[in-house]
Formats: sequence, structure tokens, C-alpha cells
Amino acid sequence: MIDDEAHIRRVIELKLKNRGYAVVTASNGEEGLYLIHRERPDVVISDIMMPRLDGKTLCEVTDDLKKDRSFLTIIMTCRISPEEHEWVDGMQETLFMEKPFSPARLVRSIDEYFHAQEK
Amino acid sequence: MKVLKIGIALSVLFLVGMAVSTRWQVREEEKSLQEKVLSGGKKLVSLLSLFPVTSFDDNRRALFFRTLIDTTSPDGLVYFVLHDDGTNKTLALIPHDEIGIPEDVETNAHLSMGLIQQSFIDRLSEKKIYEFAKPIFEDGKKAGTLRLGLQIPSVSFFSASRTSFIAMLAFVIFAAVTLVYYSFSIALRPLGRLQEEFKDTRVRSASLVSSSLKDGRIGPVLDSLERFLGELRSKIVELEQENVKLASKLGVIRFQKNQIMTILDSINFGILITDTQDNVTHMNDYMLNLLKKTPEEVIDRPLGEVLEHQEITSFIYQRETLNTRKNAGHVETVFPDRAPGEIFQVFCSSLTDMDKTVIGRTIWVKNVTADKAAEKSQHEFIAHVTHELLTPITNIKSYSEMLMDGEIEDGETQKEFYNTIHQETDRLRDLIQNLLNISKMEMGNLTVNKGLVKTEWFAEDCLSTIEASAQEKNISIEKKLPDNFPSLIADKELLKAAIINILGNALKYTPEKGTITFAITETPDAVAFEVMDTGCGIGEKDLPHIFEKFYRSADVSKTVGSGLGLAIASEIVHLHDGKIQVQSEPGKGSHFTIRIPKQEHYLGKT
Repeated sequence: MIDDEAHIRRVIELKLKNRGYAVVTASNGEEGLYLIHRERPDVVISDIMMPRLDGKTLCEVTDDLKKDRSFLTIIMTCRISPEEHEWVDGMQETLFMEKPFSPARLVRSIDEYFHAQEK
Repeated sequence: MKVLKIGIALSVLFLVGMAVSTRWQVREEEKSLQEKVLSGGKKLVSLLSLFPVTSFDDNRRALFFRTLIDTTSPDGLVYFVLHDDGTNKTLALIPHDEIGIPEDVETNAHLSMGLIQQSFIDRLSEKKIYEFAKPIFEDGKKAGTLRLGLQIPSVSFFSASRTSFIAMLAFVIFAAVTLVYYSFSIALRPLGRLQEEFKDTRVRSASLVSSSLKDGRIGPVLDSLERFLGELRSKIVELEQENVKLASKLGVIRFQKNQIMTILDSINFGILITDTQDNVTHMNDYMLNLLKKTPEEVIDRPLGEVLEHQEITSFIYQRETLNTRKNAGHVETVFPDRAPGEIFQVFCSSLTDMDKTVIGRTIWVKNVTADKAAEKSQHEFIAHVTHELLTPITNIKSYSEMLMDGEIEDGETQKEFYNTIHQETDRLRDLIQNLLNISKMEMGNLTVNKGLVKTEWFAEDCLSTIEASAQEKNISIEKKLPDNFPSLIADKELLKAAIINILGNALKYTPEKGTITFAITETPDAVAFEVMDTGCGIGEKDLPHIFEKFYRSADVSKTVGSGLGLAIASEIVHLHDGKIQVQSEPGKGSHFTIRIPKQEHYLGKT
């Protein structure tokens, strides 16, 4: 979970932990990318309007990693500028969540993903 | 002088002519005389040979002479001899002593039995002599030979009649010539005088010539000429007046044209005008500068050559052929080698005459780099603002959802969540307030409602907005507040907004476990609010610009937020006649100071 907003980190961490998922959080882009490499999570949830971590960078990193093993990327966006969609097409296994989002929906999507993976 | 020459020429001609004709005449005469002599001689000798020899005695001699002389001229008769065969004596009726008759001639004459005509040249006089000899027959026998010598009498070149004729002719011709010459002279004299007068006449002269010359035939001619001249003169005057009018009109037109050109040149975008052949007819200064050309290099040159710009020329021709408004009325392009980094918009439209015929094209070139940048920064601003607004909203939604789902069992956590929701609504409100303020500032509508501000409560208010978030980030808040809290006259809400913005920045840019210090100090004429943090600081490059609207640092780590906070704070401080200052060092932190002058406080005054 990568977001610079403390509140959002708190809420998602809490929600997911309640569901039985293990969560690691990062409050900035650098830390986030580092964690992705170290922890090798199954799901990466990230905001994309952070310094040093925008959609394009995230896309590059995750696509690269997904060559070795697959995982889900969930991107939280405000969906306002058309530029955001330029790099969208190239991403694999990605979900988009618009802010403001519902944590329940988020968790549902993650559940579905794992469910599908089991099959 | 010409006349003299003509005279001489004529005389020479006359003489030559005379000579030729006279000679011809003489020759003709000679010829006829010759004939006469020849035929006459034959006749004579034939006639005389009929007489017997004896008749040539003294009695008849005179008769014969007379006859001979009558038929021939005196100098035509050379000799006349009779040879008597009987006595073998020669009777020279007219002797030929001086004449040397050639022997063969004599022999022939004697031997001949009939008429024989011979001729020879007399050695002495060198004249041709014709001899006519005929034998005299008596009783069937030759009794004698008659020989007659004739010559052609010389024709006198200057015979009396000829001379007189020539003289008369000469006189007549001379007289005629003289007469003609003088009559011409007289007739042309008026013209000569006219010529003299004309030398001095100009178009403007009152009258062509003095009236003394208007005599005879010349008079009417001169009158007509004068009339004609009068018409010409008035025509000239008319034309001159027209000319003056036109010149002044031309002057006006030139002046107006100059005005228009000056206006065109003062416009800050490029204008290019072409004719129907796509040759450039005018370019204003802006365009000339852009293309770095002089007017001489471009006027009447083809458009493509002048612009050297593929995109623009194809756009223009495309527009022409499509002739619709569907495509953009303009094309955006660059002039990489003339104005690197700048973006231009090019518009094109037809130029029409007053009667709607197309006489060319107008092309505008506008530098839209700044406009584009402004558009871009506007987009960015909106993106950032939206993000900032959505963040507290997201928080509120997430927290309240969790609470609603009953997932939070722990009472402490519940309280925490409610608090967060509460704070986030405040945060949202502040944000929106900022936006409203900035909007008012832009419109010039920001009104300041000054009232009494008690700094004690004021400080509490401001700090409460960041307390919770600071806690989350483990940032400690230090308060340096005076024992006696000063009061000041200010717009509470606006001042609060300013301070909150600065506190918010401090919060944003101070990492975990940092410190934010808030201080209020008092001087005799002002109250100072200070905010210090141990955050990442502001770079040297950015420092002069941070209070500018929408300013974003080039440093990527500092671009969270809309770029408005400090601009609003600064504006508010200035509206209070205050000062805002900042000291900062990258990596060490920032120190903001706001000084608001104290005012005499009394109620009721704004």
C-alpha cells in the first residue's frame, strides 16, 4: 500500500487486516518501490499523484516485475486529465479505483482476484 | 545661298543640255547634207553627162556653174572636170589643183563605163571628198568623162539662227527662273516673318503673332491656329488643375496607406498578404523580424520561397481546395530555425475587393507559446486542486464506511475515526475557502473585514487545524507565545487562512519526527507571527518565487498541492499593509514571518 495520505493508509490497512490480509505500507514513492521489490506482494495498491511516483513510473516498474511473476496492481486515481490514459493501455493486470473510493469495494476486488488465482 | 547653288546647277545643266542638243542637231544636219550631196551629185553628174562634150564650151559654162552652184552650196563644190577622150585633154571647169586626188580614184573614173561614185580623203584639208564620175556617150561611143567632186559643207556650230535661238532660249529660261524665284520669295516672305515670330512664342503667349502679319492667305490660317491654340491652352489649364487635385488625393491616399502600414507594423503578430498569384505583396515588421528578411527580399516573391515552410504552405493550399470550415481555421506549427522553442498559430483567409472578388490572401501568424503555457498551467492547476479536494473527501468516505459497516469494534478506534472525519471536513472547508479567496483575488473582489483580533484565541484556532495531522506524523508542535497576548485590528478569517496555509506547508514538508514552532511576538507598531519548521527547506532558485500564484518548484518533491497557499497568504498580508518574509535553507528547514501593523483599535471603523 503506497500513499502519502496517512489517513488513507490507516483505513486500508485496517480494513485489509480485518479481512486477514497482510499489509505493508509506504508513505512515499521511493519507499514504496523499495518495498515492492523486497516484499514481493501479491497486490500493490498505489496512489499515483505522488512526488517521484506517477503512473508512468509505476507502470514501468510493475510491468517489468510482472515478467517474473504476476501480481495485481490497483491504481487510485482522480481521473481528470486525459494524459493519464496514455500509458494505461500498456498495463497488465491492473485495476483502477477512482477517488473517492469505497474500501469495501477495494477489498471485494482483492478477494475476487485471489479467488481467480486459486483456480 | 541655296538659291545660288540652284542657279549654278541649273546653268550648268542648261549649258550641257544646250551643247548636247546642238551637237545632235549639227549631226542631223550633216547627215541630211550628206544625203543631199550624194543624191545631188549623182543626179547632177547624170544630167550633165547627157550633154555632148562640145557643149562644155564657154557659153554653157556659166549656165552649168549656176546650175551647179544652185544645187550645191559654194563650199560643197570642190571641182568639176571634163576629160575629152577625143583630144585626151582635161578641161577643168572648176579646177582641182589644190586637191590631191589619189591615182586609183582617177584611174577608176577614167575606166568606168557608167556612173561611179568614189570617195577619198583630201590629204591637205583632211576632208572627205565624194567624186562622181560618169562617161559621156556620143554615137554609142565614150566621148569623155565627167567628174564631179563634192564635199559636205561644214556645218557651223554657231550659225546665226542657232546662236540666236540659243540666246533666246537662254534668256527665256533665265527670265523664267528669276520670275519663279522672286515670286516664291515674295509669297514665302510672310512665312519667314512668321518663323521669326514663332521663335519667341510659347504656349502661354497672349496671341500667336502680331496682327501685322495677318495679311492675305496667312491671316485665316493664323486665326484658325490661334483658335486651336486657345482650346489647347484651356485644356492644359484644366489638366493642370486636375493634376493638382490628383496630387493632393494621392498625398492623402499615401498618408492613409502609411497609417495603415504603421498600424500593421505595431501589431504584435505577423501579417502576410499575397495576391492571386501567391506572390507576397506585403509583410509587416513582426513577420519580417520573424523570418529575418528585408522588404526587398520578399515583395513579389512566391509565398513558398519566402516562407520556406512546408507545413504552412500545405495548410494554405489545403484550405483552398477543401474550402470548408470543417478543418481547423488554423494550423499550429513551429519555426525551428527562426524562433526555437516557440509555438505559433497560423491563420489564413481570403482577401476580397469591395465587390467581393478575391484579390489575394491574408495570413496571420500568432505566437501562442505563452497562451499554451498558460493553458497547460491551468490544466495542471485544476488537476492539483481536484486531487487536493478529493483527498479529504476520500478520507471521509472511507472512514465513515468502515464505521457504518461496523468493522470498528474498538471504542477508541471509533473515536479516532469520528475525529478524523470531523477534521477532514474542516480541511475540506479550508481548501474551498482558499479557492474562493483566490478566485476573489483574481477578480479583485477580495474584501477585508477588519475587526478586533485577540491573538490568544487566534493562535489556538490556527494550531488546532494541524494538531491531529502533526500527531500522526510524529511532528511536535512548539508554541512560543507571549505572556501578554497582543490584540490587533485585522480580518480574522483571512488572517487565519494565511496562517493555516503556512502551517499546512510546514506540515507537508516536514518529515516524520520533525518540529514545527509557532511564535507570536509584539513590537511597538506591529504583531509578528512566526512559523518555523525542520523540514526540507526551500531551494535558492525557488525562494524569490514562492509567493507567486501557481508557482511550482522544479524540484519534484515539492509539487504536492496547488501552488496557491503562499500566494494567498502573501496577498492577505499585503491587504493588511503587512509584510511576509521567509528564511530557508534546503535540508535545514524554513522560517516564515508575518508582520501586521497594529492599528488604533476602535470599534465601528473599517
